[in-house]
Amino acid sequence: MENKKPLWIAVVGLTLALVFIPLAIFLPRENEQTIDPWANVPERSPQTDHTYLMSEPFEDGYAVTRACLECHPNAAKEMMATVHWTWESKPYDLPGRDEPVTVGKKNQINNFCIGIQGNWQKCVSCHAGYGWEDETFFETATEENVDCLVCHAGVGTYAKGDYALPLEGIDLLAAAQSVGTPTRQNCGSCHFNGGGGNAVKHGDLDESLYWPSASIDVHMGEHNFQCIDCHQTTDHNIKGRSISVSLDDENQVYCTDCHGDDLHEDQRLNAHLDTVACQTCHIPYYGLEDATKMVWNWEEAGQDIGDDPHTYLKIKGSFVYSGDVQPQYFWYNGVADRYLLGDPLAEQGPTAINYPQGSITDPAAKIMPFKVHEARQIYDTINNYLIQPKTVGEGGYWTEFDWQLAAELGSEITGLPFSGTYGFTDTIMFWPTTHMVQPISQALQCTDCHSPEGRLDWAALGYPGDPIEWGSRFDHQD
Amino acid sequence: MNLIAKTSSRRIPIGLILAGLALLIVSIGLTFQTGTAAAQSPLHPTFPFLDQEGENVLASGRPVSTMQTCGQCHDTAFIASHSFHADAGYTGMTTPGDTSTGRPWDTSEGLYGKWNPITYRLLSPAGDEDPDLTARTWLQTIGLRHTGGGPAEELGVEMNCFLCHLSNPDNEARTAALQQGDYVWANTATLLSSGIVTEQAGEYLWNQDAFDEAGDLLPAFLSIQDPDNQNCGQCHGTVHDEPQPLVLTGCEQTGWETTTTGMVFSAQRISDSGMNLDNKAALTRSWDVHMERLVECTDCHFSLNNPVYVQGSGVDSLDNLEFDPRRLEIGEYLYRPVHEFARGQSAQSSLAPEFRDSLRRCESCHNTEATHDWLPYASQHLDAIHCETCHIPAMYSPAIQQVDWTVVELDAFARTTCRGIEGETGTIADMVTGFSPALLLRENLDGSIKLAPYNLISAWYWVAGDPGRPVSQELLAEAFLQGDGYHADVIALLDGNNDGVLSSEELALDTEEKAAAIAARLSALGLVNPRIQAEIQPYSINHNVAGSEWALRDCTTCHTEDSRLTADVQLAAYVPGGVLPEFLPGNNALTNGELLVDETGALVFQSDLSEEGVYIFGHNNVGWIDWLGGLMVLGVLAGVTVHGGLRAWTARRRSKHETRIEKIYMYSFYERVWHWLQTLTILILAFTGLVIHKPESFGIFNFNGVVLVHNIMAALLVANAALALFHNLVSGDIKRFLPEPRGFFNQSFEQARYYISGIFKGEPHPFERTRQSRLNPLQKVTYFGILNVLLPLQVITGILMWGVQRWPQVAGTLGGLPFLAPFHTLISWSFVAFIIAHVYLTTTGHTPITGIKSMIVGWDEVEVHPSETETTEEN
Repeated sequence: MENKKPLWIAVVGLTLALVFIPLAIFLPRENEQTIDPWANVPERSPQTDHTYLMSEPFEDGYAVTRACLECHPNAAKEMMATVHWTWESKPYDLPGRDEPVTVGKKNQINNFCIGIQGNWQKCVSCHAGYGWEDETFFETATEENVDCLVCHAGVGTYAKGDYALPLEGIDLLAAAQSVGTPTRQNCGSCHFNGGGGNAVKHGDLDESLYWPSASIDVHMGEHNFQCIDCHQTTDHNIKGRSISVSLDDENQVYCTDCHGDDLHEDQRLNAHLDTVACQTCHIPYYGLEDATKMVWNWEEAGQDIGDDPHTYLKIKGSFVYSGDVQPQYFWYNGVADRYLLGDPLAEQGPTAINYPQGSITDPAAKIMPFKVHEARQIYDTINNYLIQPKTVGEGGYWTEFDWQLAAELGSEITGLPFSGTYGFTDTIMFWPTTHMVQPISQALQCTDCHSPEGRLDWAALGYPGDPIEWGSRFDHQD
Repeated sequence: MNLIAKTSSRRIPIGLILAGLALLIVSIGLTFQTGTAAAQSPLHPTFPFLDQEGENVLASGRPVSTMQTCGQCHDTAFIASHSFHADAGYTGMTTPGDTSTGRPWDTSEGLYGKWNPITYRLLSPAGDEDPDLTARTWLQTIGLRHTGGGPAEELGVEMNCFLCHLSNPDNEARTAALQQGDYVWANTATLLSSGIVTEQAGEYLWNQDAFDEAGDLLPAFLSIQDPDNQNCGQCHGTVHDEPQPLVLTGCEQTGWETTTTGMVFSAQRISDSGMNLDNKAALTRSWDVHMERLVECTDCHFSLNNPVYVQGSGVDSLDNLEFDPRRLEIGEYLYRPVHEFARGQSAQSSLAPEFRDSLRRCESCHNTEATHDWLPYASQHLDAIHCETCHIPAMYSPAIQQVDWTVVELDAFARTTCRGIEGETGTIADMVTGFSPALLLRENLDGSIKLAPYNLISAWYWVAGDPGRPVSQELLAEAFLQGDGYHADVIALLDGNNDGVLSSEELALDTEEKAAAIAARLSALGLVNPRIQAEIQPYSINHNVAGSEWALRDCTTCHTEDSRLTADVQLAAYVPGGVLPEFLPGNNALTNGELLVDETGALVFQSDLSEEGVYIFGHNNVGWIDWLGGLMVLGVLAGVTVHGGLRAWTARRRSKHETRIEKIYMYSFYERVWHWLQTLTILILAFTGLVIHKPESFGIFNFNGVVLVHNIMAALLVANAALALFHNLVSGDIKRFLPEPRGFFNQSFEQARYYISGIFKGEPHPFERTRQSRLNPLQKVTYFGILNVLLPLQVITGILMWGVQRWPQVAGTLGGLPFLAPFHTLISWSFVAFIIAHVYLTTTGHTPITGIKSMIVGWDEVEVHPSETETTEEN
């Protein structure tokens, strides 16, 4: 009877249990209310120092790739399966077309330098491969043609030039020794400079994002994000999509990958989420620090009136740059239409290169901000389609300043007949505004849209009037 | 180059798929655009402008008559006679002094007849010799903020429909016309910015091009609309709905409501303003959340017969109706729209009391219960505090604090100081700091009394004669000024540093001598018995509401010693003439507190809500309870220290007496668990109770969390006590705790004697402890008291305090929180004192730790008294 020793432990244990179990049950848990946005942010893996792995000088880029492949045998094969290599989408059934089509930089045109066919010398300087000289490239290219360095070389060690080859004078050994996971500079050297210079194309991607303040990009400025923290990569396939080169939203990056669906404390704001894209309120302006090219008029090219990269170049024509631009807003369901080579021009108004799809009646569509780039480019007046001229190299417009010749040479390469007479027509291109997410304190407020001077054109969006008074598009459906 | 326009409205997609949709968009867009062209109201027909004779002004060239022009379709006579904006107190004029303010010179409750020390000029009561303002001059000064009609009608200023119903009224031209005494043209001047009329050298010419051949106004010139915020802002305060930053500089005139309360009517983020505002970048809230959410002035201050808003009769009184569909047809309403607007119960406006509280309150639109489910004692809070108190935590524009007309500045106006600003340059260099509104108890029409935010404006001014009248600005200027500067005698009087210049600080009658000297100067001007009077006018603050994120929601803001609710409010930096102001009667603010002059000479309002029976947890500590409890605990602590010290001291001096020690199983498993559970819960309760009692001393703890722990522990304690009571009753062990009446006193005396002397001499305990009889008589009576009196009282008061938010009337009948909370505290102190004594007495066993150990392991070492042990042992 006496020596039931453990009993006193039971006394203590039971007493403590009786006190702390109720506490544990009833005290509120703080971290269960919201999704932790950091959960989906990858931990950056430690980098392997390649300094001592790469010791011999390299004679050219191909040699570097060979060295990489010794230890990373699958890397090139993976990379060659991605659009960073192919510059072309998978075949896609576009509404209103008989056959599946592929689009991409490789075979289609845009609102800027128009198209790369025949212009490979310059245009492929952003291709993640070596030696793209003509249309036969993909038939002959091997794994050695993959350019590992453009995405992996350390900051300031590498640059590319004509035919996507490393620039003269690049210390390939130093570049190879410096490799790591892609930095802002690896991505930015092409994506911030698309269209031939800083801030030309996107409006929401420019060199200000190398070291942005929080007020320009809250993710990169305040939280020190790298591009690849959102554009996460599996087997060299980098997440992310833009209707400037793609048609659909497969493999897209979404805000809700990290942020909860109903994360606003205010119910009124959450009520917007079925209709309004996050970017609409959280990217009130683009081109915040660097002005972006809004208008490109090829028709005025060829004059000796003095070059200024931001207003006029003889080889390119006149430009209009704007900063702190308020986006334009359209319904967008993740898919875009696409002007394909040979398509007729719009019967009225400018021809849209990539009109975002969706409408007020499309439940999947949301109101999304876009940069709308306006251009005036060459077209075939008889055949009534846009021309992909040859601009770079021998006979190209940039050397001869002869549109007729450029059109003929372009026609030979693309196979699209040229009638012999050309003119200039207006085209527009839509660039989703999705980077440069700004702090909450800069987000749009109610009155930015819901007021007589608001930035949304309700009629153009298909509303009878401001939905704050007329009801949302879902109010009248049942 | 012919590129598309940048507005998306014109860019119509031609994509094949979208063709149909595009057509739809175009058609809707076109309809929409015709609707929102230049004309603000697409439905309003055009009309001719008529003069007072009903003749087209194009023909007569005379001023427009709003009554005639608008009266073509609307019952303008009805409108003008149903508008307190027009009436302004005119029809309610009474004998001087017979108004709610009690000022002997006030003749009405409105702008026309109710004097205000900020505007100062007095519409002199009829019959006054040498009047300050007459009806005519009133219109040129104070009446500039009047809509016309009412008292102005006789002077030819009809109620000015344009001022509130045009999208671009020319208020500047209107006031200029009034100031020039050009009364009949004032309403016409309101049209100057519209292009309908032009003015050259005082001549108004109707623009023939604005009218069609029939003499009707062309649609392009029609900008009639519902009054928008800008219309209201012309007279009421700063309305800012532009994208560019709002800039208000210094302590300037920024519109009536803004100047008197700091309220700014804007949806803009405060951080986006261009003001020199302290910590501006962090203020990412809008100035006014309702403006931000597109609620317009007229959405709440609607016309009282507007069928869109009016609920209709019966809804308030009939049980069977939630909504009354019978209402005015829109045409009836437009014919006779009542221009009495829904209004609240602002302290500063005593006009049209019959329409007080016709406004929708916060609760009319907001579901306060659902949004305050996080708030402990939500209904108590909502019953005691107006929404504005927490939701207008601070004002970020300066507002007037003190108006001192006992002196005049060089411009012959009062020395006026603002609160919420540092610096007096009147430029952007002055740093706006904002201010927290004063919180006063507001007596509502429904009889409730709740705390509400106010700006307190104190004013000092000279009054002379009998019945008294404010000394006119003209005579003040005469007394103080000479030429471009101050009178030499005034400089001699006030120039403290003798530099020949009156600095803004020197310009103050801060001693009675100076006041007397100025009084003498005024007397010399013929004024009879000039004396300083002073008043405090509370101005209700109802706008600049912040959403939940920015509202006061930290418990310790109010529930601490320096509670926000009773924070001191500076009324004036100095007290002119030493005259303490009084709260102006006739408003709804209870003046709960007192006025004090602090060591710097500043006048401070010290709020004391307890005078009005407001008990604030954590703030209103009943001082003597803590003193008494503290003394009790200290006494016990001192007692046990002395006693323990003596025990130790005597024990060393004598050899330990030999007693037989026996181990017996004293406490069952259940008893031990019960005891330690009780111990732990009581300790946690005592500690959390202390945190709740003095949260400001325990800032690191989350107050809500501590309250929750306290409640959980209390529930555990009660359950544990109830189970033990059941156990003891059923098992009959309860007897152990019951003092036996027989011999109780003798035994108690014996036990006490032991503690007082025997214990020091090494005597054995007077009573042997056994399992059956383990408590000595003193323990029995102590435990009896604790378990039957203190514990139940503590439990009951605790449950009642917790239950206040569930069954407030129960706690109310028992004195409510003001009684329960201090009482609960007092018992807590008793418990703490008991615990100290209790723990100490456990050391009086065989060895100091015997007692505690026995309660853990169950086995106790007890003294066995020789005379009695034998039988025990033999058994």
